[in-house]
Amino acid sequence: MALQSIKAKSPRKIVAPPRNGVIEQPRYACGIGAMQSVSAIRRAIPVTHCGPGCAVKQTRGIAHINGYQGAGWAGSGSAPSSNLQEREVIFGGAERLQQLIDASLEIIDADAYVVLTGCIPDLVGDDVASVVSSFRKRGAPVVLADTGGFRTNNFVAHETVTKALIDQYVGDASAPTHTGLVNVWSLLPYQNTFWRGDLTELKRLLEGVGLEANVLFGPASRGLSEWKRIPQAQFNLVVSPWLGLATARHLEEKFGQPFLHIAELPVGGEATSAFLREVGAYAGLSERKVEDFIAAEEEIYYHYIDGFAELYAVSTSMLPAQFAIVGDSAYALGLTRFLSGQLGLIPARQIVTDNPPFEHRPAIDAAFARIDADRPVIPDYVEDGFAIQQLLRETDYGHKPPLLYASGWERALAKEIKATLIQVASPTNGEVVLNRANIGYRGALTLIERTYSAIMSPVS
Amino acid sequence: MAINLKSPAVATREQRLGTLIGWDGELSSLAQADARGCSSGCGGGQKLCEISGPFSQSSGCAEQTVQYEATQVRGAVLISHSPIGCSAGMASQNASYRYCQIKRGQQVEDVVALSTNLGERDMVYGGVEPLRAAIRLAAERHKPRVIFISTACSTGIIGDDVDSVARETQEEVGVPVVPVHCEGFRSKHWSTGFDAIQHAVLRHIVRKPTRRQADLINIFVLSGPDVYSPLLEQIGLRANLVLNGCEVENIEQLSEAAASTSFCYSLSSYLGAALEQEYGVIDLKSPPPYGFAGADIWLRDIGKVTGREAAVETLIEREHARVRPRIAELKAKLQGLRVFLGMGEGFAHGLIAVLGELGVNVVGALNFHHDIIYDGVDKQDITIAHLLKHYGDVKPFSVANGQPHRFAALLHQVKPDLVIVRHGVLNALSSRLGIPTMPLEGDSTLPFGYQGMINIGEELLSQLSQRRFHKSLAAHVRLPYRKEWLASQTQGEPLLERVA
Repeated sequence: MALQSIKAKSPRKIVAPPRNGVIEQPRYACGIGAMQSVSAIRRAIPVTHCGPGCAVKQTRGIAHINGYQGAGWAGSGSAPSSNLQEREVIFGGAERLQQLIDASLEIIDADAYVVLTGCIPDLVGDDVASVVSSFRKRGAPVVLADTGGFRTNNFVAHETVTKALIDQYVGDASAPTHTGLVNVWSLLPYQNTFWRGDLTELKRLLEGVGLEANVLFGPASRGLSEWKRIPQAQFNLVVSPWLGLATARHLEEKFGQPFLHIAELPVGGEATSAFLREVGAYAGLSERKVEDFIAAEEEIYYHYIDGFAELYAVSTSMLPAQFAIVGDSAYALGLTRFLSGQLGLIPARQIVTDNPPFEHRPAIDAAFARIDADRPVIPDYVEDGFAIQQLLRETDYGHKPPLLYASGWERALAKEIKATLIQVASPTNGEVVLNRANIGYRGALTLIERTYSAIMSPVS
Repeated sequence: MAINLKSPAVATREQRLGTLIGWDGELSSLAQADARGCSSGCGGGQKLCEISGPFSQSSGCAEQTVQYEATQVRGAVLISHSPIGCSAGMASQNASYRYCQIKRGQQVEDVVALSTNLGERDMVYGGVEPLRAAIRLAAERHKPRVIFISTACSTGIIGDDVDSVARETQEEVGVPVVPVHCEGFRSKHWSTGFDAIQHAVLRHIVRKPTRRQADLINIFVLSGPDVYSPLLEQIGLRANLVLNGCEVENIEQLSEAAASTSFCYSLSSYLGAALEQEYGVIDLKSPPPYGFAGADIWLRDIGKVTGREAAVETLIEREHARVRPRIAELKAKLQGLRVFLGMGEGFAHGLIAVLGELGVNVVGALNFHHDIIYDGVDKQDITIAHLLKHYGDVKPFSVANGQPHRFAALLHQVKPDLVIVRHGVLNALSSRLGIPTMPLEGDSTLPFGYQGMINIGEELLSQLSQRRFHKSLAAHVRLPYRKEWLASQTQGEPLLERVA
């Protein structure tokens, strides 16, 4: 039963980018941007084998200007880098890398040194693998992630890093399976501006129902010592539409570890309770313990929703009814479910910007379609800012200006279409993001606070 | 070395200016370095020996510098002909551009930049067709006044003929299509990017002079407010600010100005020398406009070439009278403070003068590079001689292209009261060491001229009062360097010397 008839989406009359090519207003980085996945692991350091500007640009884009997160324990610009020059382009850079790793081991106090490659070594054909393996033979904790800048973006390269760490650092399963231990594969660290808060909430939820969670990245993780325990986990939990699946499949193959894939991030009371029940059933947890936790959390959560209702229910006709979202597939899907399913807002345009590999798109489409049987949501996959904004401009939001969940690149467009902008996507600009979450019970409340503060502030 | 505008690509700084990115010594040993033998007496062919070690940290590249410049020309579009990673920091460039526009009172726009977003396929088949398509798309979407194309490591290696594509499409799109050759691996220092875009605008945008504008002074700037016009207007001159935040017209008329100058010769040396060589626009030879001595000479030189000597003297007198009382008060409070600098050499030169006037001791500097000479008349020698004469020597006066580990080692040795930094990477480092840290980020004009001494003095006082943040931080965070290594640095056995 549709409460309001939704007009068909306007035809897409955008100036189409040539091939799959041009990108304005980048929303992700290249393969070597996965250096930030390494920086997100306590006691690990990225060693970048690339040109002189590569590492700094990725860090600036993903970590600094995106919510002013800071770049990790080693700090911005601290990543060892071979800063390759013409000499190495002509004669090869393997020797330079050898020197750099040697010196990094001497100077940097880390437990794992993850070598990531940029465009230059991949184009000139440096034999990076033998350099790195010579260190491993000596027992040095050096890992190679062949990220080759031009080959892919930082999402795909993130799993090059996770698999490399698993194969070259974690090693083989030596201890027996620890029932109740779960490895969590979810948001892309740093790239998703709210990853720290979200992973912390995810851990709190999983531990609330009786699991022990290796979240592996960020301040809620113990870092590399957690990675060492990956093989002992009872199962892997992938909480994202597609990111993490390759890692989970790899672990399934390597250690015979099963995995549970939940495409939707749990945002808000309904989704989070459903999420916990699904995980609980899969892991064989005590139903009573799961239900007790859910009941306690829901009591608090709905206390706040109840209070909020006195604003929301009283003022709905003055508040935005429709929303558009521009973000990575995890947020686009999870937030749409929450905003539509829990707040009752009307999804007008959902734009996925992380360029999910094509084999995953049918499943992502299906997940969006499941959100509301009455009016299936069809996502657009666009990465070019100009095309994104054309789509947003052409969307029919009904008789009131919409809510726009997007990035800092949408600031001008939001003004133009009089939308209320809530930044939830990379790059989040002009906004400091520390431990805020958007997922779970607590994160959803924060998201409601941000959303309705942004709406109420200019009219109060 | 005469400037050759016929070549599509600029010669790198190391080729033209003997640029160093690693060196340890004192300011005085850089004076007239090009005329002396090797300072370390190694007997090698070079006049100054670069030191280089096996360890290096991520730095910056010429293409990044070109992005910073090209995206801040109003009405321009930049096409980064590269994989997407080269544009990963574009939001950071945008932040800088928005700040500049706010400070200049301009309507705030976002940067307009396209990445050709090259992938594996393009590395095999070449990126020429995607580039051609991107140029057409940029013209269609944005109706720009000019289209810049920056090259990258990858497009340099695969050998895309960017010049031909630019030439072929220019007529079709009806605006200048300007290739900027700035592959990151070609130069060891990002400042080559300044020269690369200056070279490109000289070849493609600066017009043959149609008249001489005798009251127009070219000032080569970075992002930040226009602090020049209010000063020059008092003597009936107009400032032609280029490149950050400027209009295309400002670039076109560079050839018609009476003279060129800057607050930073490391930034401006190429453009200034080329305009003098090609169009006879006088490239002023004063030391940079910092401190009383520098600002006085700078203004007098401007007055001399524009026939405004008397007006300049009145202006100088008025400015001195305005700022001296407050500077005396600041000096009384700041006298003897020990400050360490971490910034580009041009900025360091400026700060040495400003701090000298405030009675502050500059106890060392980490400069991001050192050009042994500058293009045209060598303002490097003029500047260093000026600083030594008025403010004395600075030791250590080290060179490193960012390199937080060297900064950490120097700070361990010197233990300053406060650090002034213009580089995001290093700010956080000194702060983590518990040292009050004053950033010069964003606003490059803070120390400029007479007001600059007051600005810096006030800010220093404020930073000293705000020091608790750094102390608290240092108590709770760790640097990534091994303790033994840092200890070896303080005992006077720097890694660089050991392995050079």
